[in-house]
Amino acid sequence: MNKLHFKVGLFAVASLLLGGAFLVYLLHARGFFEGTFQLQFAASSADNVAPGIPVAFSGIEIGRVTSLGLNDEGGIIIHARFLQRNAKWLKESSTFTLDKPIVGGAKIRVDTPDLNAPALPDNSTVLLLTSDISSELPALVERVKAILDNVEHLTRKDGEINTTLANVQTVTGRMTGEYGMLESILGSPEKARAVTDSLEQTRALIIKLDGLALKMDGMASKADTWLFAEDGVAAQTRESLAQVRLMLNDAQASLQKADAMMANAVDISANVKEGTQDIAALRAEIDDAVRKANALINEINKKWPFKRDPEVKLP
Amino acid sequence: MHFLATSIESLGAKLAGWFTVGYALFAFLGRAALLLLEPSTWNRATFDVVIKQVYFTAVQILPVFLAYVLVISWLIITIILSTARDFGLTEFASEMAIRVLVLELLPFLTALFIALRSGSAINTEVALMQVNNELDALVHCKVPPMQFEFMPRLVGGVVSVVTLAGLAGLLALIVGYLAIYGVGTAGFEPYTRTVSNIINFNIMAGLIAKCALFGLAVTLIPVTAGLETPKKLFMVPVSVLRGMMRVFFAIVTIEVVSLALKYI
Amino acid sequence: MADAIAALADDVARVSLDLPLRANLSALDNIALIPLYQRHFDAAESARQAQTMLDELGHAEIALLRDSDMTPAQRFVTKLARACMLKRPRLVIDRPGAMLYDVPYPAFIAHLASQAAISGTWEIYDFSWNQALYQA
Repeated sequence: MNKLHFKVGLFAVASLLLGGAFLVYLLHARGFFEGTFQLQFAASSADNVAPGIPVAFSGIEIGRVTSLGLNDEGGIIIHARFLQRNAKWLKESSTFTLDKPIVGGAKIRVDTPDLNAPALPDNSTVLLLTSDISSELPALVERVKAILDNVEHLTRKDGEINTTLANVQTVTGRMTGEYGMLESILGSPEKARAVTDSLEQTRALIIKLDGLALKMDGMASKADTWLFAEDGVAAQTRESLAQVRLMLNDAQASLQKADAMMANAVDISANVKEGTQDIAALRAEIDDAVRKANALINEINKKWPFKRDPEVKLP
Repeated sequence: MHFLATSIESLGAKLAGWFTVGYALFAFLGRAALLLLEPSTWNRATFDVVIKQVYFTAVQILPVFLAYVLVISWLIITIILSTARDFGLTEFASEMAIRVLVLELLPFLTALFIALRSGSAINTEVALMQVNNELDALVHCKVPPMQFEFMPRLVGGVVSVVTLAGLAGLLALIVGYLAIYGVGTAGFEPYTRTVSNIINFNIMAGLIAKCALFGLAVTLIPVTAGLETPKKLFMVPVSVLRGMMRVFFAIVTIEVVSLALKYI
Repeated sequence: MADAIAALADDVARVSLDLPLRANLSALDNIALIPLYQRHFDAAESARQAQTMLDELGHAEIALLRDSDMTPAQRFVTKLARACMLKRPRLVIDRPGAMLYDVPYPAFIAHLASQAAISGTWEIYDFSWNQALYQA
């Protein structure tokens, strides 16, 4: 027996076996031994979609986009392939959303709220939602929250406004002139005008917030047609919209409260000297809150397509 | 003016030299390939020589090679994983590690390994055969050296680099699994998905082709460099030096071209 | 003279200092190359033919030695066996003194020639000042 030949033979057999095993593993990994399950997505835009982007269920990849193209009516059809074993995650109530994170590749997210729902048939066509709104909602909610906090901070029980009012109430003396008491508190008509201006601004903001809240209501009612999906997605979106609306209402209420207190302050006869510093600080804070709320309203108006026709034509 | 003329002349001489080398290389490769196609080549004796070459090129170094692969894969995977963790990109770490190691680094290192060990030996041996007239003696005996000296070395080189790179890749996959998921079968599903994402059959074919080219480069170039040696003993080191430089450039070129084809 | 010998026709088998053995093969393998790669016998048959050739020359014991392990005489015998294996009509021994410096070579060659059952003639090319050696 030739030792050299034996070793080479052993090497060859081991390499071939390992290579063969790896090939089988690779075939298994690529689903060669399993049936595949096809889906077609109808989408309004093929932005960010490319063959090979994953379809993920709860963050786990279950399939991939294989090709995309146009149908005869000019609609976009995206084909995706799933392994048979992953088909169980696809139900009739499932929703499909295109996610484009800031870092990393786009992917299609599958949400299946009810795993007991009837299974999606092979080769069926489903809608692909774009997550423009869904992805911006959380950020928006955060910003509304921040402003609300700010306003709440202003109007909290032992906050500046209350202290100020307490101070103001101790102020005595009758004030004359165009700006009444405020002029004497602040020492000049210009300064007094500034305070009343911020009050005006606050009132204007409250009106704007009102308008926005109305629009939001309209939008929430439109969400069904807009997102043209069953309760699953729409519910989520509507919830978010409702949340934003709630917060705006809160902010509005707080500002109104602040406004009322300020208005009171103007009427109250007060100790002039002691109130001065507090009222100046209060003014700055109200100005800040108004500026932020205004920016938020502009942002919302800019981002959300209130004026555009939000309905997506099905291909 | 004179300076310009001489530099142009030296450039021309260099180009002509490169052309000669390249031509000799590909003509030799053509002859070897033609010989491979002849049925009479494939007798037991040729097969024995090929087996001997595979033994010396691949089997003999297997334990050392695998240990080296183990260490380098473990290190690189650990570095990639910890870096990815620091930057919050853990989900990309396993894919990145597999891509870097299995598809690029390990085949490259395997080729370098074989080039340093077997390529230099082949170059020296062929140069010595040439200088000692052994090749002339074979010509006198009408025994073509291609069949039992050169062609088996080429085949052995290709087989060795392909199998060693394959084994190294498999080992790196296993090391990667252990590094990411530890001992146990819990990570099998996600790992399988990552592997299947990276390695499709085009990539696989490309990898094998690249390794085969590496194997050819680390044997063909030393053989032709050895054959070019003038019949003077002191030219043997020069021949090895030139041959190994060419091997190095060829390996880097193959790697760069394969990367360019893959990612551009 | 070397050029003249190198220019000899194809039907000449040469034993010469300029035609060394393949250094990493044993004597047997060196001889067996010829039946193996020229006449396409299989490995076992080629080795058998080579061994027979060494037996006929009376040096069977050197079969497994490599070039570097052989004495000059053994090396010469191997080269001679290789040349005989070529089965060409003429066999030329080129300057035997250069290869056989450890034995009285005319007698050594005559002894080999008497043992080998080889047809054809052996020609010895040597320097004229060595002529006296052959007449002894």
